[in-house]
Amino acid sequence: MARMKFLCDVERCIDCSGCVVACKEGNHVPVGVNRRRVVTLNEGKPGEKSISVSCMHCADAPCIAVCPVDAIYQRDDGIVLVSKKTCIGCGYCFMACPFGAPQFPTNTVFGARGAMDKCTMCAGGPEENFSEEEYKLYGQNRIAEGKVPLCAGMCATKALLVGDADKVADVYRERIFQRGSGANAWGWDTAYKKD
Amino acid sequence: MQRRIAFVSLLALALFGASAAAVSAQDQSFLTPLTYSVSVYFNKLMGIIAGDWQGYGQLFTFLQDEWFATLFLAVIIVVPLVFLLHYLIVGAKHFDHDGEQILFFSKYARIVHFVAALSFSLLVITGLLVIFGAFFGGGIFIRSARYLHIISAVVFVVPGLLMFFLWVRDMLPQLHDIKWMFIVGGYLSKKKKPVPAGKFNAGQKMYFWFATVGGGVMAYTGYVLWGFGAQLDTVRIYAMIHNFLGMGIVAFYLTHVYMSVFAIAGSLESMKTGYKPKEEVDILHSRYNY
Repeated sequence: MARMKFLCDVERCIDCSGCVVACKEGNHVPVGVNRRRVVTLNEGKPGEKSISVSCMHCADAPCIAVCPVDAIYQRDDGIVLVSKKTCIGCGYCFMACPFGAPQFPTNTVFGARGAMDKCTMCAGGPEENFSEEEYKLYGQNRIAEGKVPLCAGMCATKALLVGDADKVADVYRERIFQRGSGANAWGWDTAYKKD
Repeated sequence: MQRRIAFVSLLALALFGASAAAVSAQDQSFLTPLTYSVSVYFNKLMGIIAGDWQGYGQLFTFLQDEWFATLFLAVIIVVPLVFLLHYLIVGAKHFDHDGEQILFFSKYARIVHFVAALSFSLLVITGLLVIFGAFFGGGIFIRSARYLHIISAVVFVVPGLLMFFLWVRDMLPQLHDIKWMFIVGGYLSKKKKPVPAGKFNAGQKMYFWFATVGGGVMAYTGYVLWGFGAQLDTVRIYAMIHNFLGMGIVAFYLTHVYMSVFAIAGSLESMKTGYKPKEEVDILHSRYNY
């Protein structure tokens, strides 16, 4: 069985936030909820790098471990999904997550957090595939359609890779061989070195 | 002359070398960030988006995954089991309810206590429902329990504060409380021997402090948990405090319920009417001046 993974190539990410917009728009994610975001480090300084972060669909996901109602589960292909009908919005998954992936809409009773919303790798949720309900709760189910998730499909520089972990690793390894990484990456001198 | 030229050229060479070194030092500092490995970037990134996960996130994950629910389950099984044994072996204390009665709790105290009792019971029950949410399947039922938890908390704050100021003087620890603890309040024997206690015994005092001051801590940490009104690491610490303190409070709550409903026959009635039998006061609260 394939193991699905995201990988953001930091040498390629140009902080265009196309992935964020594609995800938000394509999945009709509510205001205040960001399934994906781009974080820039060392902004404006030499060595600036950007990385697109969302749920990393961990193998041993801490969110699944802490959920008091077992609303979060992992599919056989490694995609971590949440059942919004089971979720009580306690926020434990947010405390456990190393990536800040779980997000909560706040426009419910007494300002309580609603059901957790996070990246589904465009694989919908536990409801029936392509059903109205699934679309309403979780957005598109592109994995079931055989398509690449919106964010990676959108990425103009092909920094964001998604798919079977082995294949993603192969693509990335090939890139490293060709252009190097970190200070050795092609392009650093052109961009930053003063003469 | 030749020595002079040699000196000047040497000086020039030294100057040139120094400036070159300075430039290269500058270059070095300029280049340092570029040599960051991806993992260094990743560490920085984690710090920005998820706080000190290795410090607190991991600990919280471990405790919530392995311990909290288990410990709560242990508390709600072991404590009632101990009391069941006590009830079967030692049994309840019976006092003469037909004899002389003493007004022990004013109407104000009784009302405050009952509002507190109701909201506090709801807090304990809904809190436990959330902890064992997986058992009940989550969803709308547990979500409602969570909403009820915050409503009861807001309600409890009022009688909690009033109760604190009402009884704080009687609840201050005294020397005879140690004696009370050594004989466990005389609950281990069937004999009716006067027990060293004032208006409240040491057990009630412990519960009082757990419920008022502990309740205050629970209210504050709970409020922060409810709205995520702090740094993520602080929220993680508060979640752990809320759970551990909750265990102590649940244990004392169960004790209080057992004492009032089973261990001392008719004490629930005393909390409704405010009157306690004189015999009961003389024995269980022997140092109380009425």
